[in-house]
Amino acid sequence: MSVEALLEIQGLRVSIGTGATSVVPLQGVDLSVQYGTRVALVGESGSGKSLTAAAVLGMLPSGSVVEAGSVRLDGAELIGLPDRRMRDIRGRRVAIMFQNPRASLNPVLTIGGQIAEVVRVHEGLTRRESQERAIELLDQMGIADAKRRAHDYVHQYSGGMAQRAALAMALSCRPSLLIADEPTSGLDATLQQQVLELVTEQTDSMGSSLLLITHDIGLASSTCSETVVMYAGRVMESGPTERVVGDPRNPYTSELVRAYRNVGPGRMNSIPGTVPVLRDFVARCSFADRCPLAEDRCRESVPVPRAVDGREVACLIA
Amino acid sequence: MAIARYVVRRLGYLAIALFIVSLITFVVTRVLPGNPVYLIVGVQADQAIADAVAVRLGLDLPVQEQYLRYLGQLFLGDLGSSWRTGNPVSFDLAARWPATIELASVALLVALLWSIPLGIVAGLRERSASDRIASALSGFGVSIPEFWLGMVLILVFFGILGIAPPPLGRTLGDIPPVVTGFLLVDALIDGDGTALGAALRQIVLPATTLGFVIGAPLLRTTRTFMREAMLSQYVRSAKALGLPHRSIVLRHALPNVLLPVTTMLAMLYGYLLGGTVLVEYVFAWPGIGKYAVDSISSSDYAPVMAAVLLSAVSYLLVYLVTDLLHFFIDPRTRS
Repeated sequence: MSVEALLEIQGLRVSIGTGATSVVPLQGVDLSVQYGTRVALVGESGSGKSLTAAAVLGMLPSGSVVEAGSVRLDGAELIGLPDRRMRDIRGRRVAIMFQNPRASLNPVLTIGGQIAEVVRVHEGLTRRESQERAIELLDQMGIADAKRRAHDYVHQYSGGMAQRAALAMALSCRPSLLIADEPTSGLDATLQQQVLELVTEQTDSMGSSLLLITHDIGLASSTCSETVVMYAGRVMESGPTERVVGDPRNPYTSELVRAYRNVGPGRMNSIPGTVPVLRDFVARCSFADRCPLAEDRCRESVPVPRAVDGREVACLIA
Repeated sequence: MAIARYVVRRLGYLAIALFIVSLITFVVTRVLPGNPVYLIVGVQADQAIADAVAVRLGLDLPVQEQYLRYLGQLFLGDLGSSWRTGNPVSFDLAARWPATIELASVALLVALLWSIPLGIVAGLRERSASDRIASALSGFGVSIPEFWLGMVLILVFFGILGIAPPPLGRTLGDIPPVVTGFLLVDALIDGDGTALGAALRQIVLPATTLGFVIGAPLLRTTRTFMREAMLSQYVRSAKALGLPHRSIVLRHALPNVLLPVTTMLAMLYGYLLGGTVLVEYVFAWPGIGKYAVDSISSSDYAPVMAAVLLSAVSYLLVYLVTDLLHFFIDPRTRS
């Protein structure tokens, strides 16, 4: 692992709530994104992917506490940064694109006005300058007749256009890191491909890194050079995509890849059991109860990530 | 252009609605037990005299014929006369409705001023101090009867503290010359500071009573929709783009809250414009609500009909204005 990563998350542990209802959804996440690369963060729902993104943006749900670990952007620690400073980073250094872009756009503000506001806030442009930038951005994202469409509202945009507008907004200040949280779920296959191509094309041209959050391993492997597999608040396996997905070493990754490969007509292959609710810090392998290869020692300590065949694997058996 | 067409269509609906309201009210008033004839001539009177009065009032005709006759008069702008006051109904209404409109408007202003800001602040953070206060006040507001609150206010501010005028309606020493019929406005036009002060002092307690009671549901609505807006994805997205809190609340969340809140405001204003019987009674307010109820109890048909129609018209007009307002707030209604 290189010393200077754009984003470096180490041992991130987050708990939410107190007392009987408290949970520890992030058990110690390690993840890094190098400059100008695309990294996929994959895992089942509830594995902590989106929460990890929220922690990077300093937007954890209320009642959350970062118990341990660090999040560094360009070497500067983000955990514990006051909200005022975080606000300066959000949108300017790190931007996020949520699932369902239509809902991310305000129904009562014009598309152009929303994009212009972001530019105005971060780059101190005038109203006119920022409006021009918004039109440029929309044009750059492939919105035809951007000058006129900038005055439209989200209900006048088609799904694909809303997607482009949301991307324009996220990339308006040329952030170093774009987090795309399930950007294509709910879209049909052709549109999915178009959106992903647009996202990668734009982030590449800006020299930005992409952290693609998805549950779709196929999407991850077609888009990203690096893949990080998360399960129950921990990273199970991470490394070059062709290693992690092509030749998984962690039993969890193998199961995930197998489940993905067998989707289609006929019987679907699923991993038996469900993602556990993490009431507390789990001092053993979280996957042990569902793992076909689990041994006694898996339940005795947390597996430490180690280098195996060109990737990092957090498994004693691998 | 589109707006003009829309308004014309809405006014057409309004006419249809009024026709239906008039029909229902007419049937209901005629079907209800009670007959003005005996109230007019007295129960001891000769049948011949009673019949003569009935003929004069047109009550001897079949109901459908009475209705057609009423509709014909209404079309010519004649609302009939009240036998109780001896005046044409339009005259009585002109004397009373301004008092109701003034009370309704000031009450709405009071409600707006306390409930909407509090609702916005309470909706920002769940279980914060302001949220708890808001929830206590709105719970109190929706559960107390308005006449009770009116009496408590009278007891405290007139009876004990002696800083409010007695609840005797709008009695003034010197009435400013009538220009608009609205006492507050007329006093202002006249430049009569004393009359204006007196009129204001008289309206404070009834308007506060109504303003508090109708402010409670308004507070609830504002809080709920503010909460929803703050949890919405467009607000989360605005936060994630590093926009300042102030802009998120005022520019991104608030306009989305104003849509349901203005609808509710319109509903409440329409309700108030129809006259608020209990509060008008408690404060001896010479408004349309009290007039309507007094007319019902003496089977005085024409004023009842007129009061109901007036109430319906004001309701529908307020709604029309609100929908036009939405036209400007909500881009979705424009296309």
